[in-house]
Amino acid sequence: MDTLKLPKDVCMGALRVTLTGNTEAWVENYRGILEYTEQTILLQTKTCQVCFEGSRLSIDYYTNEDMKISGCIGCVRYL
Amino acid sequence: MVEFLKYVKGYLRIRVWGFSPERFMNLCSNRSILLWDIVKEGDTYYMSISLSSFYKLRPIAKKTGTRVVILQRCGLPFLLPGLIKRKVFILGLICAVAFWIGSSYFIWDIELEGNYQITEDMFDSFLAERRVKVGMRKGELDIGLLEKEIRKSFPQVTWTSAKLSGTKLEISIKENDAPIIVEEPKDEGGQDLVSEYDGVIVAMIIRKGVPKVAIGDTVEKGTVLVEGSVPIFNEDATVREYTYVRADADIVLEHTRTYQEKLAPDYISKEYTGRTKKRYFIRFGEKKLAMPENRPYLVYDSLIRESSALVLEKLGIPLFWGSYTHREYQNVEYEYTLEQAETLLNEKLSIFLTSLEEKGVQIMKKNVKIDTNDGMWVLDGTFLVREKIGKGVDIVKTDIPESAATDTADSGTGE
Repeated sequence: MDTLKLPKDVCMGALRVTLTGNTEAWVENYRGILEYTEQTILLQTKTCQVCFEGSRLSIDYYTNEDMKISGCIGCVRYL
Repeated sequence: MVEFLKYVKGYLRIRVWGFSPERFMNLCSNRSILLWDIVKEGDTYYMSISLSSFYKLRPIAKKTGTRVVILQRCGLPFLLPGLIKRKVFILGLICAVAFWIGSSYFIWDIELEGNYQITEDMFDSFLAERRVKVGMRKGELDIGLLEKEIRKSFPQVTWTSAKLSGTKLEISIKENDAPIIVEEPKDEGGQDLVSEYDGVIVAMIIRKGVPKVAIGDTVEKGTVLVEGSVPIFNEDATVREYTYVRADADIVLEHTRTYQEKLAPDYISKEYTGRTKKRYFIRFGEKKLAMPENRPYLVYDSLIRESSALVLEKLGIPLFWGSYTHREYQNVEYEYTLEQAETLLNEKLSIFLTSLEEKGVQIMKKNVKIDTNDGMWVLDGTFLVREKIGKGVDIVKTDIPESAATDTADSGTGE
């Protein structure tokens, strides 16, 4: 895969997170939401779980393809 | 753009709570239902959903054990039914649009620019003759023909352009500002200069022609001052031929001019009684709508005031309003006093004298008296003036005596 230089998010279904500062995050390749509170957003991906922690977290939009999280993001943890 | 599309399609703000709202959201995303602005407050979730997607929510809510309540309806699909109920509003809207579209087929303003010699009134009457007026259909106007007619009717217009800008007809003209050159008549027949008055010559400068009088001579009206036929002599002092020229000279003649001005002994003056009546009107283009009225007074004059809002002028809407003020008056006869008569007659005299001065006439001596004659005020003036004279009169060609002409021919061949 490295030899062919194929993108891993496409081939392996790896999670893709784009962070803009600490206020916005675009997330792709997830399975669904496991938990959603103002302090925590826990997402299920193909291989692991991802937890966005912070304050005043909200979901601007949520589709099958991608989602946008906004608020004050403190940390992103892989569980 | 996305916001606008959402508004057009319509969307709902909903509240979701229950056993597993997260699963509810996951199922929504799996079934390609877009959710946005998802906010959690306590155990309740608030989110937005499009109207069409909302109808697919029932099985999801049942499956996840959540409850869904509509909080707010937004967008056009919710606005339209309310609008349709307001029939008068819809009718007004349709009428306004129809009026707007309909009125755009007409000319509502005519603007003229670049005119200096041609007054607006002259141009208005020209347009009225061509039936070009405010309120006419755009289709009836032939711009090319109008431009041609402007150039034809006003010779001083060197360039013209007419164009329709929206509902406004803009006419631009350019007038000829170069000096008008008067072509001098060709020097074909020749002219004599003759005197127009009786008098004494005080100065002469001859440029062309043969002088027939001298300074100090007394001449009568019709006397030839300068002859246009210039003789060419033979060696024996006989006339060989005449060349005819237009006699040209500055000849100053001192002569007497008289001036008489009469003034009727009485005059009629308007005496306003102070009684007035006002009548209001609205004018739209050529059409005028006014309050009905009978003849207000036996003798009266009217003052018309007309105004329009600046915004209407800018929009090119020819809507004006104003009022007539009818003022009653009486015709009262008065007699001129000596002072009044003198003032009036002197005014007229000074106009006459100014006109003389403008013509370059020098006044040497004047004798003016005001008197009454047959009940009229009469001003008699006698002026000793010096002015340039000389009227061109065509020459009647005289034949040269036959013998002289033959002699000339013989002598010519001899040489």
